[in-house]
Amino acid sequence: MTKKRRENISLLLFVAPAFIVYFIFKLYPTFSGIYYSMTAWNGLSKNKQFIGLANFVEIFSDANFWKSMLFTSKYVIVMLVVANIIALCLAVAIESRSKARGIFRTLFCMPNMISMIIGGYMWNFIFTKVLYYLADHWGMTFLDKSWIGDPKYAFLAIIIVSSWGIVGYLMIIYMAALQGVPIHLIESASLDGATSWQSFRKITFPMIRHSLTICIFWTLNSMFQVFDVIYSLTGGGPGRATQSVAINIYEEAFTGNIRYGYATAKSMVLFLIVLMITVIQISVMKRKEQEL
Amino acid sequence: MKKKKQVNNIIVYTSLSLLLLFWLFPILMALMNSFKSNSELLSNVMALPTTFKLDNYHRTIEKMHYLRSFFNTVLLSSLSVGMMIIFSAMAGWRLCRTKTKLSQIIFALFVFSMLIPFSSIMIPLYKVILALHIKNSLIGLSFVYAGFGVSMAIFLYHGFIKGIPFELEEAASIDGCGKITIFLKIILPMLKPVTVAIAISNVLWVWNDFLLPLITLSNNKKYSLLLSTNILFGQYSSDWSAILSALILSAIPVIIFYAIFQKQILKGIGDGAVKG
Repeated sequence: MTKKRRENISLLLFVAPAFIVYFIFKLYPTFSGIYYSMTAWNGLSKNKQFIGLANFVEIFSDANFWKSMLFTSKYVIVMLVVANIIALCLAVAIESRSKARGIFRTLFCMPNMISMIIGGYMWNFIFTKVLYYLADHWGMTFLDKSWIGDPKYAFLAIIIVSSWGIVGYLMIIYMAALQGVPIHLIESASLDGATSWQSFRKITFPMIRHSLTICIFWTLNSMFQVFDVIYSLTGGGPGRATQSVAINIYEEAFTGNIRYGYATAKSMVLFLIVLMITVIQISVMKRKEQEL
Repeated sequence: MKKKKQVNNIIVYTSLSLLLLFWLFPILMALMNSFKSNSELLSNVMALPTTFKLDNYHRTIEKMHYLRSFFNTVLLSSLSVGMMIIFSAMAGWRLCRTKTKLSQIIFALFVFSMLIPFSSIMIPLYKVILALHIKNSLIGLSFVYAGFGVSMAIFLYHGFIKGIPFELEEAASIDGCGKITIFLKIILPMLKPVTVAIAISNVLWVWNDFLLPLITLSNNKKYSLLLSTNILFGQYSSDWSAILSALILSAIPVIIFYAIFQKQILKGIGDGAVKG
């Protein structure tokens, strides 16, 4: 037995446990999913009739699916802007404090630790009980809105709660990047008469650009799969007004009409979109890094 | 100039504190109102509780089978993360040290799947779970989590091991140590920092994961904390004093975990970005 062969055998032995669980629960479902997406499988009957691309053709004219896709895209874009701006502002404000930096950081990040199911229900209480109380008794009439029942405000509510959950995480990433900016650069700029906005714009921002790219694509990838917040806050309602793609797929498969084959086809479309984003992300990041 | 800076300071601290108050508002409101009776809660949500009653907590602990759900979640997270760590450390070590084509292919296969979103494989995965008869099995479910978590963990171990000098293993090997001994006695102890980081982030992930238990655990004896809370919310849709105490109860373990490990958690998030 050659040395290389021996090496490979020991490799396989050590990799086996990880590979087996990985194969059964991730790789196999991925590839069998491609097959199921071309069947009329409904979860009840044993035989899964092969119907080619019929599911995908149906998706094309599935208004509810595209509505959920449109909603998700709108949600992702707004979150991308709102969450990153708040996180960056917080990071800059907190990082430059001499006192209480640690406590601010810890507390702002706390909602990120709690499941968005719990967070969503807590906010549900705020939106359905507390805000009405404030409007009626404390004169804050602008809060007197149907936060969960009106699609427009429900969207706003979802953005508020999602930002509440994610901003802390992004803030920590930005703070880590800010710590890498040499203080003497800022000091000498200020001696040369630069305003703090100028020194942020010209020195700090270019130096933390890498973290911005990371945060943007991290938000993109994770927000596209949004489920928990919407599930606990509006349940996708009113009607289907706040239904995200993940909720749409979940409903198709696990509540009511168990159309597994069709739901799998939808999830393949979601996968392709996420994959496309990732490919763009990698190529953009590569180009950016070459520029540096 | 100095005065301007002081004013500036006051403005920033005040706005940060106000924003922080808004940030913690839902948690504080849930906490405050969880001690009130329902009628007290409905009459004034902003008032402090008149008496410090634990009735709601007694009620929900019983209703949501708090202890059982808590231990289910502990079992699920510790088994999942335990397997993830042992499996990935073994695999990551050999994948890093073996310089063959096969090794590269396997590593690429693990890394590739990090792109696959959970929601796009949940249905075929559900089918696998049914076929293996591990629906409603916490042990079975922890294998599923291990399968999902190994890619990232192997990736991290692989990167970390690259930085460990090979000489130590070589010397041990010349001394006649087998691979398993080397792994347990030399490699595993050196991996401690990255193991801690992997363990903490994955405990948080499994603990807070909702969708996978939602589709795989239908027997209420096996419910995780989040599932019990969710069911309670559905059953008591207007009984806010019960719901709020349940929310506080299921948030407490994570908050304690965060309080203990916050340094490592925050460092982990920041590091992940720097290496990104």
